[in-house]
Amino acid sequence: MNEAAPAEQRPPPRRLWLVLVVATLAVVLLAVAYVQWRQYKLLDNTAQFQNDGLGWSFSQLETEHLRLRNEMQKALDESQPFDAAAVQLRYDIFVSRISLVDHARAQRVMLDEPIYGPALARVRAFVLEADHFLGGQPEQPLSRAVVVRMLPQVDSLSAPLHDLALSASHLLYERATLRNSAVRKHSQLGVALTLFQALLLLVLGVVVLRQLRALTKRRRTLEALAESLSVARLEAESANRAKSAFLANMSHEIRTPFHGMLGMMSLLQEARLTPQQAGFLATAKESAQHLLSILNDILDISQLETGKLQVSPEPVDLLQLINEVGALMRVQAQAKGLAMRVAVAPDVPRWVLADGTRVKQILFNLLSNAVKFSNSGSVELAASLRTTGGLEFAVTDTGIGMDEATRTRLFQRFMRADESTTRRHGGTGLGLEISRDLARVMGGDITVRSMPGAGSTFTVSLPLLATEPAQPASMPAPAPASAAAAAAPQGVPRRLNVLVAEDHPVNRAYLEAVLDKLGHNAVFSEDGDGAVRAMQAQAFDVILMDLHMPGMDGFAAARAIRAMPGAPGRVPIVALTADAFREARDRAREAGMDGFVTKPAHLPQLREVLARYGGAAPAEALALPAPAGTAMGRLDLATIEDVQRTLSAAQYTMLLQRFFDEGMNPTSTQPDAAALRARAHSLKGAALSLGLRSVAELAEQIQRAPSDAPLPQLAQLQAALDREIAATREQCVLGGFLPR
Amino acid sequence: MPLKNRQRRHWLMAGAACGLAAGLPLPARAQETAAPKTILTISGSVQKRAGADTLDFDLAALARLPQHSFVTRTPWYAQPRKFTGVLLKDLLAAVGGSGHTLRATALNDYRVEIPAEDWLQHGAMLAYLLDDKPMLVREKGPLVIIFPFDDKREVRTAVHYSRAAWQLRSLELR
Repeated sequence: MNEAAPAEQRPPPRRLWLVLVVATLAVVLLAVAYVQWRQYKLLDNTAQFQNDGLGWSFSQLETEHLRLRNEMQKALDESQPFDAAAVQLRYDIFVSRISLVDHARAQRVMLDEPIYGPALARVRAFVLEADHFLGGQPEQPLSRAVVVRMLPQVDSLSAPLHDLALSASHLLYERATLRNSAVRKHSQLGVALTLFQALLLLVLGVVVLRQLRALTKRRRTLEALAESLSVARLEAESANRAKSAFLANMSHEIRTPFHGMLGMMSLLQEARLTPQQAGFLATAKESAQHLLSILNDILDISQLETGKLQVSPEPVDLLQLINEVGALMRVQAQAKGLAMRVAVAPDVPRWVLADGTRVKQILFNLLSNAVKFSNSGSVELAASLRTTGGLEFAVTDTGIGMDEATRTRLFQRFMRADESTTRRHGGTGLGLEISRDLARVMGGDITVRSMPGAGSTFTVSLPLLATEPAQPASMPAPAPASAAAAAAPQGVPRRLNVLVAEDHPVNRAYLEAVLDKLGHNAVFSEDGDGAVRAMQAQAFDVILMDLHMPGMDGFAAARAIRAMPGAPGRVPIVALTADAFREARDRAREAGMDGFVTKPAHLPQLREVLARYGGAAPAEALALPAPAGTAMGRLDLATIEDVQRTLSAAQYTMLLQRFFDEGMNPTSTQPDAAALRARAHSLKGAALSLGLRSVAELAEQIQRAPSDAPLPQLAQLQAALDREIAATREQCVLGGFLPR
Repeated sequence: MPLKNRQRRHWLMAGAACGLAAGLPLPARAQETAAPKTILTISGSVQKRAGADTLDFDLAALARLPQHSFVTRTPWYAQPRKFTGVLLKDLLAAVGGSGHTLRATALNDYRVEIPAEDWLQHGAMLAYLLDDKPMLVREKGPLVIIFPFDDKREVRTAVHYSRAAWQLRSLELR
C-alpha cells in the first residue's frame, strides 16, 4: 500500500507519453491551420485589391496615351474634316485611366520606383494644361491650332509613360514572385507540418497500440488467473467434500464399535463389581461418552459443511423450551455457585415455528460456555423480540471475558477463549462453530460483545415467526406403527422373537446381551440375505436391521421382506444405523421400514422401540415397583436423547446424579404442606428437563394438591414421591444413564 | 459614321414606338427630345424590332427600368462607393433577350465575356450613377458593369473584377 500511493499520484510513463503526443499533435494542427489562414488572407487580399491589375492599368494608360496622340495627329490631317468629338473622347478615356494609377495604394506599391512620382506629376501637369481646351468648361473650342499646340506636350509624355509601364510590370512580376515564394514557403511549411503530424499520428498509433496490447495482455492474465482460481476452487471444494465424506464415514466406522463398547460397559455395570471396579468402569464409560459427544460434534460439522444438515421447523412452545433449558442449566450453574436468571420479554410469542432441538442445542452450548468460564456472579438468558423482526436470545455472563484478538478467533474451529483453560474446561472446541453455523442455517447469526474481565454477551438472532400451537398429540414418532404393532396390546408382558441383521460381531454380541436382558429371543443374521432367508424360515415379531452391511444391505433386505406375501411381509422393521444423516432416515422409510434407531442403541431406546413395535417390556422391568405409570413411562426417552445430544451423555449423567442427590434427601422429614409443595415445584422443572416423566407428573400432582389437605394425605404423597424418585433412579441405572 | 448614326437614331425611334405599343419601358421620350444621346447598344439574340440589328438606349430609357443601388468597395476607389442602375437581369428581360453569354464592349474597345450565372445569380448591375451622380467618361462612365463585391464572397475574384467593365458602350447577347 505504501508503495502504491505515490504511483497513483503520478500518471504512469506510458500515459504521460500519450498526453505529450496528443498535445503536440493539437499544437501542430493549430500551426497548420494558422499557415493556411495566412495563405488564404494573402490570396484574398490579392484578389480583392486587384494588385495584379495594376500592371495592366499602367499599360492601359500608355496605350490610351498613344491612342490620344494618334487621334490628334489624325485631326491634323488637312484632307479630313476636323473631328473634335473623337479627340475629346480619347482625351476623356486617357484621363479616366490616370485615376487607376494615381491613388494611395498604387503609391504604396510603387514607393520604391523613383520614376513614379515625377512621371505622374508630368501627367497631372499636362491634364491641367489640356483641360483649358478639353475640360468640363473649355476656355476656347477645340481646333486644329490647339491640337498643334498640344501635340508636343503629348509627345513628351511618351517616354515617361513607357518607362512607368515597364517598371510597373517588372515590379509586379517581382511582387508576384515574392508572393509565389511566400505561398511556396507556406506550402513547404504546411507539408513539413503535415509530415510531422503524420509522424506524431504514427507515434500516437504505436502508443495506443501498445496500450491496447498491454490491456489485452492484462485481460488475458486476469482471465487465466480467474480460470486457475475457479479450478482451484473446484479442487478445494471437491477436496472438502471428500474430507466431509471421509469424516462422515469415519464417524460411522468409529460409532459402530463404539456402540458395542458402550453397550458392553452398560452390561458390565449390571454385573457384580467391587466398588473400585465400578469406579473404573464409570470413568471408562464417562470417557467413552465424552468421545461420543465429540464424534457427534464432528458429525454435525461435516453435515453443516456438506450442507446436509437441515432444520425442520415446526410449532415449538418457546416458553417451555426456554424454561427447560433454564432449569437444566440452573443445576449446572448452582453447582458452581453462580446465579442463573431467565428473562423472557412479555412480547415474545409463546409458539414459534422453529427446530426446537437445534435452538436448544445453541442455547445449551452458549449457556454451558457461560457457566464454564464464570467462577462467580451470574449467568443470564434473556429472550426478546427484535425491532427488525425475529427473536433475540442474549446469554450474558460475568466470566473472564475476552479481548479483541480472542473475539475474532472465537468462532474458529477448535478455538477456545483461553488455551490454558482447555484442560480445566474440557470440550471439543467445536461448539461455538456449530452453534453459529446452526444459527446461520436457520437464517440468523450469533454475535459477541465482551471485554477482558467484564464478562461476555453472546447474542443469537433468529428470524423465528410466531405461529399457532401445535396439535396436542403430535409426539414426534419416527414412523407410524405397523398394523401388527398396533394390534399388540400395550403393557402386556410378552417374549418377542427378534430378528437382528447386523454384520459387526461386537454389535451382535452387545445386542444379544441387551435383548437377553430385556427378555426377548434374538436370532441373528450377518447380512440382508440371511435376514430374508430367516424370515422365510421362521416367524418374527420385529426385525432390527442394520442399514450398512456387505452383500444385500438393509434397504434392499427391507424391500425384499416387504415384498413377501402374508404376515412376514408386515413384520415391523426398525433400522439400526450409526449414520445419522436425514437422507438415510428418508431412504429407510422409503424402503418400508417403520422405525429408526441411531447407534449406539442404548438399552432404554431398544426397550422403547421394541415396546412400540413388538409389545411391552417383559418381567424384569415390571418387577420394579411402579405405582405411577409403567416402567417405560418413568422415563421420557425422547427428551433424554435430546438432552444427551445437546449436552453430552456424561453431562447428562452428572445432572442426573445431582438431581437424585438432592431429590433423595428431603430437607424435612416432617410433612409440611408448603415445604412439600416447594420441593415438588423445584423437582418438577428439573425432572421435566431430564426426561424423568413420572417424577414430574407426580410432582405436579402434589403441587395441585389442596393447601388444606390432611396431614396423612400429605405424608402419603411425600412417601409416593420418594418411592417414585427411587424407582426412577433404579430405571436410570438400568438404562445405563447412571452408574450403579 | 454620320450615316450610321442616323440609322441608329431611326431604330431608336422605331424601337420606342414598338416599346410603347408593347407596353415595354423603352425610351418613350425619344419622340419629344430632339437628340437623345445613345449610351448603350444591345445586339445579338434579343427581340429585334422593325428589321433592326440592334437596340439603342439612352439614359432616360434606362431610368425607366427598375432601379437598384448598393454600396461596395472596389479595387478602383479607396472608399466604398454607391452604385445605382438597373440589374442586367431586368435589362435583358426587358429586351426579351435569350442567351448564355453577354459580350461587353467598352469605349476603348475593352471586351469581356460575362456568363449568364453572373446576371442570374451574382446580381450583376449596369450602373449609371456613382454616388447618385452621372458618371463622365473621364470618371470611367457613363456606364459601368458592377457586382455587389462586398455582399457576395464568390464574386471577389480577379475574373469578376475583369468583368466589371467601365465606359461600357455595347452588349452583345449570344
